[in-house]
Amino acid sequence: MLGIIAWRIPQIAVTLILLSLAAYLAIGAMPGDPISMAMMSDPRLGPADVERMRALHGLDQPLLARWWAWLTGVLRGEFGYSRLFARPAAEILWPALRGSLLLLGTALALAAILGTAAGVLAALRPAWRGAVDGLALLSQALPAFWLGILLIILFAVTLGWLPAGGAPEEPGMAEAARFLVLPTATLAIAHLAAYARHTAASMAEVLRAPWITAARARGAPERRIAMVHALPNAAVPLLAILALDAGVLVSGALITETVFARPGMGKLLTDAVMGNDHNLALLALLLVATTTLLATLAADLAQRALDPRIGAGR
Amino acid sequence: MTRLRLGLAILGLLALAAIAAPWAAAWLGVDPEMPDLLARQSGPSADHPLGTDELGRDILARLLYGARISLAVGLAAALASTFIGLAAGLLAAWRGGWVDALLMRIADGLLALPALPLLVLLAAMDPAAIGLPRGGALSDVLRIVLILALFGWVGVARLCRAAAISVLARDHVRAARALGVSEARLLRRHVAPALAAPLTVAASLAVAGAILAESTLSFLGLGIQPPASSWGNMLANAQDLVFSAPMAALWPGLAIALAVAGAMLVADGLRARG
Amino acid sequence: MTEALPRRAATLALALLAAPVLPGHAGAQPRDTLTIGLSQATGTFHPNIESMLAKSYILGFAMRPLTGHGPDWKPLCLACDTFPTLENGQVTLENTPDGKPGMRVTWRLREDLRWGDGRPVTAEDMRFAWEAGRAFETGFGGAEFYRQAYEFISTDPRSVTLRFDRVSFDAGSAGSFQPLPAHIERPIWEADRRNYRSRTAYDTSTTNPGLWNGPYRITAVQPGAGVTLERNEAWAGPAPAFRRINIRVVENSAAMEAQLLAGQIDMIAGELGLSLDQAIALERRVRGRFRFEYRPGLVWEHLDLRLDNPVLQDARVRQALMMGIDRPRIVQSLFDGRQPIAATSIHPDDPMRDPGLVPWPHDPVRAAALLEEAGWRPGPDGIRRNAAGERLSIDLQTTAGNRSRETVLQVIQGQWRALGIEARIANQPPRVLFGETLSKRQFNGAVLFAWISSPENVPRTTLHSDEIPNAARNWSGQNYPGYANPEMDALLEALPQELDAEKRRPMWSRLQAMIHRDLPALPLWHRADAHVWPQWLQGIRPTGNMSPSSLWVTDWRAR
Repeated sequence: MLGIIAWRIPQIAVTLILLSLAAYLAIGAMPGDPISMAMMSDPRLGPADVERMRALHGLDQPLLARWWAWLTGVLRGEFGYSRLFARPAAEILWPALRGSLLLLGTALALAAILGTAAGVLAALRPAWRGAVDGLALLSQALPAFWLGILLIILFAVTLGWLPAGGAPEEPGMAEAARFLVLPTATLAIAHLAAYARHTAASMAEVLRAPWITAARARGAPERRIAMVHALPNAAVPLLAILALDAGVLVSGALITETVFARPGMGKLLTDAVMGNDHNLALLALLLVATTTLLATLAADLAQRALDPRIGAGR
Repeated sequence: MTRLRLGLAILGLLALAAIAAPWAAAWLGVDPEMPDLLARQSGPSADHPLGTDELGRDILARLLYGARISLAVGLAAALASTFIGLAAGLLAAWRGGWVDALLMRIADGLLALPALPLLVLLAAMDPAAIGLPRGGALSDVLRIVLILALFGWVGVARLCRAAAISVLARDHVRAARALGVSEARLLRRHVAPALAAPLTVAASLAVAGAILAESTLSFLGLGIQPPASSWGNMLANAQDLVFSAPMAALWPGLAIALAVAGAMLVADGLRARG
Repeated sequence: MTEALPRRAATLALALLAAPVLPGHAGAQPRDTLTIGLSQATGTFHPNIESMLAKSYILGFAMRPLTGHGPDWKPLCLACDTFPTLENGQVTLENTPDGKPGMRVTWRLREDLRWGDGRPVTAEDMRFAWEAGRAFETGFGGAEFYRQAYEFISTDPRSVTLRFDRVSFDAGSAGSFQPLPAHIERPIWEADRRNYRSRTAYDTSTTNPGLWNGPYRITAVQPGAGVTLERNEAWAGPAPAFRRINIRVVENSAAMEAQLLAGQIDMIAGELGLSLDQAIALERRVRGRFRFEYRPGLVWEHLDLRLDNPVLQDARVRQALMMGIDRPRIVQSLFDGRQPIAATSIHPDDPMRDPGLVPWPHDPVRAAALLEEAGWRPGPDGIRRNAAGERLSIDLQTTAGNRSRETVLQVIQGQWRALGIEARIANQPPRVLFGETLSKRQFNGAVLFAWISSPENVPRTTLHSDEIPNAARNWSGQNYPGYANPEMDALLEALPQELDAEKRRPMWSRLQAMIHRDLPALPLWHRADAHVWPQWLQGIRPTGNMSPSSLWVTDWRAR
């Protein structure tokens, strides 16, 4: 186990550095830099001003040199300033990260619980199977922004039960929760299907296994078989989905955040990329990439530990 | 099996509708791209069975023409990602060693990056810079397909690699190799059949993903440019005026849901069979 | 027995979904707060670094610029006593030390103006602003102003005099030159000028009361999401009505509408809110619940034409394109007739507009005749061709994602098509269109966008031949069409220096006649802002110019 970690961690580090280079170059290669935009809004900038502004913002350096300066800064623990928000990049990142963790954490937990429950239901009660399948299908087929707006029209505008988006004015858990309901529902619906399908499939497989039949023969109650014997084993493949969702947890949900006007990582990442905000964009991208890579590693390790078929020996 | 049939039937019907678009428009006597400021946002009528949009264009005709673009994006992106993924996965499994390691690290890296901001970044690039023509629906379709394929191949490649490795490790394949059967024949006779089932599943899932992704890009203003219609840009346009003309948002939303559901039913059906 | 499991799971799920809903709070908003929806987020809060509409709207509550333009578009004093003019002696003509004609302008700061920490606003605050503006590495906008203002003189704490090295009729307008709190900002600036941009207290401690001298001060910032303003205790002017003003950023316009209807935001700022067509649709549905006011502003929507494209070089083709657009019909059906059709870039309410000049009419017959005359005859596919067999086809571009403009563009495309002109739509995201295609002159046909200006603004940067962007000039300048006319150049140079308004009038008429005839850009209309207020809110006066309505927040009242 330790050997795997010792081998994978350096690989992850190299991947991250190469990713940062690719992202830096890609953002730099986009047409329209900050100075061009400044020229548009300040018509009196002359040729000399433009040159000096480029030097002031470091834009006269080649992209590779700028990336290298950025990388050495990061290794010293300096993440630099966000160009868009005129504040240290890390300071901008925090609130967005908190927002995303809260929103997506709730939504994914809900999706995992409901999805798994639906999957178990489908596996145990064939009569329900069609309904669960249909719901899973529907939840994956709806474009997120469409669903979000439909929910807003129904619950916020027509019925007036819930806020249409934004952040609470008053502090307090209950108030914060009210603002969380609609965006959480939008996201949970989209993510639920994957859990339902995988649970249903692997439960069905496990329930056909000989040792389940043996347990049944011993007279174990069906509920106990399902919950104690089958579900933990069926959960192993779900770890892979969870690992991928860990990345989603920190990368946020751009569409949901936009429709519900909530601050979050998806919006932040897109704004930073589109606004030529290298420091902020790279910090956010690397955070997401690191989380995903580490979560994948963790899921691999957990699978090896849990699943007798992927023993450490092989 | 029934799911496969149902899915294929849905997709087939949508494809038929897409093919029939010009005749339907001619029969209705409408031009899907010509604005008519005197007939904005009118309700359903004999002339316009589903009403008209914010520029007075027939929604039904635009839906049918939109089917052409949305389905084309879905199919082309799925084909491109499947093809690249198949090649990369096979190569990784067959050659092994550093080729395998390199391809899989690229795949890891792409999977680790958040897709949407990068889609946005790529969509904002100038198509002329890589030799694509500017403007026109065809260049938009090409651009979106390229972007989606860039991210879409990863899943397929991993799938192919895993399946190919397990086939190549089987005793009779190793025996055949030892007997001097050519590598090409080996890939064709033994590996390819084993890949067919997971590949078709992955491809139909990719169709669904691409259709949804097109609508997301449209929502961000980076999809198919007007006046050509796609389900994604119809939906994105309608959502701005969703409170005054909710029906205009309903139809493209349903069309997308139907197509995605169809593709996923096909995937489910194939999986159950395979 | 196994039935229990799924049912319990389902109940749990329902409880999870429903639990937070229960403490429903019916929203009778207390009227001492006002929540405003804004469609753009702000970056820096420093008034002189980067110009952004959202920032100028928010700072309108919290800062007094020296001068501005009122809702009647007349220049006026905001932080000073009387607006400097030649007549009142606060502007005097003189020579610069090296003998060039120049001028001297004196502003007297208002006596009651205080920073939020109680310290008076003095000439030292202006001196700091001037010094920081002149030091290029500070990174202030408006570099030209600071280059021209070569000397700062102050005889007493309330008097500020600048000497300029040239003559201009609007010398009294101070633009973005305004007091900055020297007691806070000067030490930061002097410690590290190059990094002042990121060290300024406006961004490191935005809630410091000493930074603000308006009726309100910023008390909380949620980057990218909003700002909270509360009454500035040190403000000595008329007391504002609301204890607190919340600014909420909602970038998606459907979401903005939903939040308004759900009662989460009270009003939508006209300066940066709903698009006009969306507001009109909203008004039709909720008439009575909200008040709507449409104010045509100094935002000129137009199509820049690439004049060195051989097709567009021919003035007859440009005029045919102009007459091929049915602007009255577009404005009537898309915008409810709320936007004045433009004759030229000069706004109908501008004091220097030539009332004798009427907008080009929609006249497809004359347009067709002009095209025939220019050698473009109908081809087999309905598109005109010239003698060489080339099709009459141009690119038509605007900002992708701006639905209102995309809509207009499609109508224009259709109307041109009826004339036998093919327009290929190729929209681009704003940063590509503005940062590359326009500013580096990579467009080849027509681009739809808007210029924002101020009253009697001399359009030098868009019309002077020196302002055609090219690589040698680092792509500075805004004459994107490439309009070059010696008479226009001379006029643009003479206009600012003519101090007598009555003598300027004929010069302005000549300028308008020339752009009306030459059409380097096809004028469409002057954009109207849609302001949406609750019925109980009174006293907001939209300005339609660069001074946001928030500057007059002390007139706002709740009923």
